[in-house]
Amino acid sequence: MLKPRQMSRLLIAGSREQMAPVIADLYRHNLFHIEDYVDTGAEGYEGFKIGSPLPGASEKSADLIKIRAITNAISVQADDVEAKKTSPRLELKARIERELPLLEREVEDLTVRRSKLDTRVKECEQKILEISPFTNVPADMDLYHGYKRFMTFAGYIAREVTIPVPHEMYFSKGKEKNFIVAVVQTEHRSEVERILQEAGFQSVPVPEESGVPQERIEYYTDLISTLKGEIVEINKNLDAVRMKHTEFLVACEEFLKAEVDQTEAPLRFATTRQTFVAEGWVPGDMADAVMDSLVKVTGGKIYVTVLPTDLEHDEVPVEYNNPDFAKPAQMLMDVYSRPKYTEIDPTLMLAIVFPLFFGLILGDVGYGLILLVMCFGLRRMIKGEDGVMFLKVLRNASISSIIFGLLFSEFLGFELPWHPLIFSRHLLIGATEGGGEGPAIPALMIMSIWIGILHITLGRVLGMYNHAKQDHGDHRIKVVMANFGWLAVMWGLLVAIWSNVAMPYMPNLTGLPVVAAGFNLGTFIGAALILIGVACIARDSILEVIELPTIISHVLSYARLVAVGLSSVAIAMVVNYLSIGMFISPGLKSLSIVGIIMILVGIMIFLFGHALNVALGILGGGLHSIRLHYVEFFTKFYKGGGIKYVPFGMKRRFTEE
Amino acid sequence: MADVATVAVAATDLASIQASQMGMKAIGAGLAVGLTGVGTGVAEMGIGAAAVGAIAENKDFFGLGLLFTVIPETIVIFGLVVGLLLLF
Repeated sequence: MLKPRQMSRLLIAGSREQMAPVIADLYRHNLFHIEDYVDTGAEGYEGFKIGSPLPGASEKSADLIKIRAITNAISVQADDVEAKKTSPRLELKARIERELPLLEREVEDLTVRRSKLDTRVKECEQKILEISPFTNVPADMDLYHGYKRFMTFAGYIAREVTIPVPHEMYFSKGKEKNFIVAVVQTEHRSEVERILQEAGFQSVPVPEESGVPQERIEYYTDLISTLKGEIVEINKNLDAVRMKHTEFLVACEEFLKAEVDQTEAPLRFATTRQTFVAEGWVPGDMADAVMDSLVKVTGGKIYVTVLPTDLEHDEVPVEYNNPDFAKPAQMLMDVYSRPKYTEIDPTLMLAIVFPLFFGLILGDVGYGLILLVMCFGLRRMIKGEDGVMFLKVLRNASISSIIFGLLFSEFLGFELPWHPLIFSRHLLIGATEGGGEGPAIPALMIMSIWIGILHITLGRVLGMYNHAKQDHGDHRIKVVMANFGWLAVMWGLLVAIWSNVAMPYMPNLTGLPVVAAGFNLGTFIGAALILIGVACIARDSILEVIELPTIISHVLSYARLVAVGLSSVAIAMVVNYLSIGMFISPGLKSLSIVGIIMILVGIMIFLFGHALNVALGILGGGLHSIRLHYVEFFTKFYKGGGIKYVPFGMKRRFTEE
Repeated sequence: MADVATVAVAATDLASIQASQMGMKAIGAGLAVGLTGVGTGVAEMGIGAAAVGAIAENKDFFGLGLLFTVIPETIVIFGLVVGLLLLF
């Protein structure tokens, strides 16, 4: 919690014969994050080279490529497949040798045939395109070619022409373009060409066909439909292959990927002719188990040890360490940046505060329920890990939305049978709202400001902690003091304001004794805090002082919790007023045809309007809540840029060890 | 009699002045939201275009790109706050 998982640096060294069992064992554990060996002649690594793959690597890679070609051709994706049973390794190996070549040939056959048919369809379509200009000319296609002393001109022309040499010509006037066909003696060729050019002639190739053009087109159309029928047949066959072999294929792919990963692992190790050295990271609590297991599989013939971690220079991979309910929020963290190993991991805070903000913005029982139902509906369709995480985030947010909806007493913009329990957000829109006290805007605003003040204060305190932990010496004190300075300026400003203006839901310090120039004690305390704060900030970096106004803008930025929320309430109420107030209730009063149409229109407006508002609610609620974290909260303390922990191994879904 | 008439005229004047003041407030609120919206839009235009370009190059930039793009959104929120305070 609040810290990434603790990692230990492991060094494995042994003779080359032990490489294969070590790799297999590491892969089985799925815990060892390999630190790739880079041949830079680092100290202690003189004479080492990057290793070469284990035997059998190229055959396995070739097999994997074959499998991927097949899965691509019949569009099978492991993510979309439910893992029903796992196949044992030996059985799979035997099946790959036995069935894979056959399956490959079958799929290749089908896809090659399909692409040939596709090409023929294209050819036929091209023919039809070529013939269609000639359908207007009452002549057989044979008549256009096969002459020795004559030549044919065919094409589009801007206007009718007269040809002053012996010729045979047909001109057909079209809507946009005119089509001309002319047969002349070869010796007049250049003259005719010139005349045609002048009339804007665009030549069209004469297709090598015989017979009436219309009939030829019909012939090709028939041919296309036959070919398409065959393609459908082939697609059916491919579908059948998919149905029958999906499980085998995904299992194969997983099995071969595991094999290829393992055979290629030495490429990430440092090796000499006789030995290898692998360095990497394992979670601290698992280090002993991994080491024991490695010693056991090699019969004690390797050297494994935990190296001390140097937080300054080592790039420690980061794995989240959060309670289950906070895990979905890790996705939102990864969108920003993974935490560094040495800094606080704010996932837990994000997991708690994000739904709260979302609920504050979209506090409506109706919308919350719609989102919840949507989550469970999409859950069946989306199988990828990120998608599921996102849905969980949305689920938490919608539950929070329902709770705040109960507190705000809102259901699709209507009031529930009780008065708002915290603050009223009901606007005075339309006839559907009789009376009511209207929205408690000042109270809501001050609530949002308070949230902002507390959230930013938390951020700054965390910033002080992070810098105290990460930095050293003189710089450390300066940066920590600068963070304190920002806090002092913010709170000083607040104390000064409270001392001069009385505000609801805020401490009232106007009653403090007046000290000088009509200002009371609070004002001077506030001013002192501001001065100290500015001094602290300036000591760290003088340029930062120009950022001082962000204190106000960041705190006020939290007003979006109210503003965006109110706009969503307003849209809901306007939709209700439009649909019910202006269409449905007048329609119900007079149940004629017009009345029924009005009711239908009203229902349409109601459905469409609320659908739009749900979409805006997800966008507004989600984006603004996450933005408050990314921009206002994280910028106070969070750097990110940690390396993702990618253990060597895989989560097996379709195969066994 | 004249006094009563004067009072009545004054009362209607007062009512119409109040109504027109309310209208002015509404116009002010509308301007606050609308103009800040335009401002935000103009500011986000360049950032958004650049961010999308960067994301197309490297998907990891998405988080940071989103962050930069939404920074000017604060402007329109200020407008909304001012608008709400004017109206209520």
